Amino acid sequence: MKKVVRRMLALTLTAAMAIGFAGCGSSGTGAAKAEEKSVVVGSKDFTENEIVAEIYALALEDAGFTVERKMNIAGSVVHTSITSAEIDLYPEYTGTGLITILGMEALTDQEEVYQTVKDAYNEQFNITWLAYAEANDGQGLFISKRVSDEYGITNISQLQANADKLRFSSQGEFDEREDGIPGLTKLYGEFNWKSSKIYDNGLKWEVVDNDEADVATAYTTEARLTETDKFVLLEDDKHMWPPYNLAPIVRNEVLEQYPEIEEVLNAVSATLDTDTVTQLNAKVDVEGEEYEDVAEEYYESIKG
Amino acid sequence: MIADIANYISTHSAQLGTQITAHIGISLFALIVAVVIGVPCGYFASKSAKSEALVTAPFEILRVVPSLAVLILLIPIMGTGVKPAVTALTILAIPPVLLNTSVGFRSIPEFMVESARGIGMTEREMLFKVRIPGALPMMLAGIRTALVEIVASTTLAAKIGGGGLGEIIFTGLGLNRTDMLVLGGLLVAALSLLSGVVFDVITRRLLRYKYV
Repeated sequence: MKKVVRRMLALTLTAAMAIGFAGCGSSGTGAAKAEEKSVVVGSKDFTENEIVAEIYALALEDAGFTVERKMNIAGSVVHTSITSAEIDLYPEYTGTGLITILGMEALTDQEEVYQTVKDAYNEQFNITWLAYAEANDGQGLFISKRVSDEYGITNISQLQANADKLRFSSQGEFDEREDGIPGLTKLYGEFNWKSSKIYDNGLKWEVVDNDEADVATAYTTEARLTETDKFVLLEDDKHMWPPYNLAPIVRNEVLEQYPEIEEVLNAVSATLDTDTVTQLNAKVDVEGEEYEDVAEEYYESIKG
Repeated sequence: MIADIANYISTHSAQLGTQITAHIGISLFALIVAVVIGVPCGYFASKSAKSEALVTAPFEILRVVPSLAVLILLIPIMGTGVKPAVTALTILAIPPVLLNTSVGFRSIPEFMVESARGIGMTEREMLFKVRIPGALPMMLAGIRTALVEIVASTTLAAKIGGGGLGEIIFTGLGLNRTDMLVLGGLLVAALSLLSGVVFDVITRRLLRYKYV
């Protein structure tokens, strides 16, 4: 009996070692291939960023690159990943670069924001911002369609004027953040909500849809904004929020090695506007498709 | 950091007041509902092994579902706000009340019941003069456990617009602000400890005979 056990053990060990060596072997050839023409595409940890990163990846594969994907990196560490060369490129937002990464004052002109981050990134991090897409995933407020029709509210100025009749729902941070209620108050005037309650961010659509609140915060490309019969995104008529245009950012080292990346990704960015991105988000978040499929379908449609 | 906290308290004092009141309100409401359901069920459970299994099983199963999940599951049925929060907390609080009540009733020495019967008490008299007083210490211990647990968990009510001190904690998390997290955490902890102490004082009064 003992012998059998021992033999089994030896067998398992050998098998494990064999698999281990095989593993080493394959990764070895992978590295050799990688020297040909390969990039690592990363993304942040939410739908939109994953879809866009996947579109970049598909476009690059089409251009003859071997693409390694490192999707779903937490928003707070993605910048470190690219500066430490764990990834070569990912889709970033101009406003995030300006305010969150560089810690600069908010600007509202999109071209100015783009130029500022482009210069600063190049200098500080050795990273290039390629052309930005028209798509703007910025901060926004939405109200229920019913209330919008009843009081004729389509922009934030009108919202401020009618605030005393409306119930506000926030996720908490919006009430405190400098680019939230405090900033809005400075620019538009006091918002005297009829009531203001805090809900989990994921519940805002249900809360507004079920008539438990009238106004909530959203990002301008959030999937459910496609349900225009229920929700109305308000126009930021006094330009409170900085633009958050989508653009691929690439390590200079990689871009110098493969300058053709620029042309490939700029062609993708040229097709992405806010509506398009919102609809892509909706396909994943509302209709439940996989982001890879949505990205592929979209890429096929623009490849022409 | 202490300066940050002091500053937050001074600028948000009115809001803090409402949050603390809401927190206590939701907690007490949930505790009362849990006692109203848990104590009779516990008494019934103490009758026999069969009745115990019958009553305990459903609450134990419900208890396993995390409170946060209960909250989200209740939204389609009850909407948002205080109602689903109280329901979720009640589900959390029933098992300790129920089980301790049941154990309390069962731990009454047989000779006490025999003696009571011996001096001619009716069943009703025995219930109020022997059984309930005998089970009371255990029952109160169960209610105390439930109370402390509820006060800590009421934090979750802020996820669904129920208010309470969770608002400070979740807002602090979103903003990555340590001062708010610490303040919210400390307030919940303090409230939880304080409720335990207040409850102990009440217990001592109710069970005066034990401490003479």
